[in-house]
Amino acid sequence: MKYLSEYRDARIAKALARRVRAAATRRWVMMEVCGGQTHTIVRQGIDELVGDAVEMIHGPGCPVCVTPLEQIDRAVALAARPDVIFTSFGDMLRVPGSECDLQQVRARGGTVRVVYSPLDAVELAQRHPDKQVVFFAVGFETTAPANAMAVWRAHQLGVRNFSMLVSHVTVPPAMLALLAAPDNRVQAFLAAGHVCTVMGWEEYEPIAQKYHVPIVVTGFEPVDILEGMLLAVQQLEKGEGRVENQYVRSVKREGNVAARNLVRQVFRLTDRQWRGIGEIPASGLAIREEYADFDAELRFGLQDIRATEPDTCRAGDVLRGKIKPNECAMFGTVCTPMHPLGAPMVSTEGACAAYYTAGRFRKHAAAEESP
Amino acid sequence: MCLGIPGRISEIHDENGVAMGTVDFGGVRRSVCLAYVADQVTPGDYAIIHVGFAIAKVSEDEAKRTYALLEEMSQLDELEWLDEVARANEADRAPAERAR
Repeated sequence: MKYLSEYRDARIAKALARRVRAAATRRWVMMEVCGGQTHTIVRQGIDELVGDAVEMIHGPGCPVCVTPLEQIDRAVALAARPDVIFTSFGDMLRVPGSECDLQQVRARGGTVRVVYSPLDAVELAQRHPDKQVVFFAVGFETTAPANAMAVWRAHQLGVRNFSMLVSHVTVPPAMLALLAAPDNRVQAFLAAGHVCTVMGWEEYEPIAQKYHVPIVVTGFEPVDILEGMLLAVQQLEKGEGRVENQYVRSVKREGNVAARNLVRQVFRLTDRQWRGIGEIPASGLAIREEYADFDAELRFGLQDIRATEPDTCRAGDVLRGKIKPNECAMFGTVCTPMHPLGAPMVSTEGACAAYYTAGRFRKHAAAEESP
Repeated sequence: MCLGIPGRISEIHDENGVAMGTVDFGGVRRSVCLAYVADQVTPGDYAIIHVGFAIAKVSEDEAKRTYALLEEMSQLDELEWLDEVARANEADRAPAERAR
């Protein structure tokens, strides 16, 4: 494999890949729901290493990629306001909105600042009492405790000029939605290690039971992913469907209780749009009424900003495993990391960008025939 | 985005009732919130840090191995934001300091 010699565990990885191939009597279809894992799988060529034993579908595991167009448009509208300092994690700046992205707003004079921690945004609000500081809260359960703390902290310190545009999503409802789809192909999941470091795996047990699918909590290093695949294949071959933990060095069944508690205190469940997928019931987090003062959607009346996703981008088909990124007609031609049509081409953790950077270009003859 | 980067906790203090501390990421130091691991860590311990928050304690061996691997796989994006933030904050403070 191209990059395999680069990392020290290459020999262990190859041995594990052999075990995966030996364990499988047929080709099993698995999905990872973690952008970090997608990046590792594609960059290290792990899916190629296991040969025909496992087909990996790169699920909606990149929070940047699933942030709905309408939230990007709301972010853009806020960032353009002269009274607003708009703050965000670095990877949201190039996600295309209907008209433009945050980086373009910045070029046109809007104030957009990258922060490392959401607490940086609260601090910024304290330093600029004459401005409204808005933080773009995106992410899965891994990031929710940090964003919950920022709201709690702003509340505690009485920082009135701080608010959050929340677009949080949670993984288990997305798995349920994928499994419930009539054309679902996923037979096992690798669950995201750090999502489970925070949340534990109790929520996954009823899903594994209901749909009889193996769900293996897995880390993001090559060896972790191969181990996760092996555990899932072993379950599939035995006809089992239960939750198993590969990432024992970080994940406990109950997760991080302190973090879960603050998330529950600040956020409530809400229905949420996933870019390319549509609305998934109770799959998002929104700020609770007690902290409504810090909800940017309410403070700035953004509810009227609506957007319809263009149909040129097939991100939804990629995220649901209907096509591989390089089977999209736009891939690598019209749509590149420099000029992304949709979010999976923007983030380094998006499936399309991962394919592009790893040089997995279109198999022309084959792709021309597919719709 | 959910990766997190292991770092060494060099100091712990209380800020208005919230456990905060300084964490060293391969030479880069940064203030980090330790509230979610406060009952498990002391200075010198290692933890996985995600967007400025410690989410789990890890062993020193594990931390060093993971850091090296992340570096090899170019997955240290969060540290790049950290640089950008530090630069912007400096630019922010500079005019105020010049005024003094």
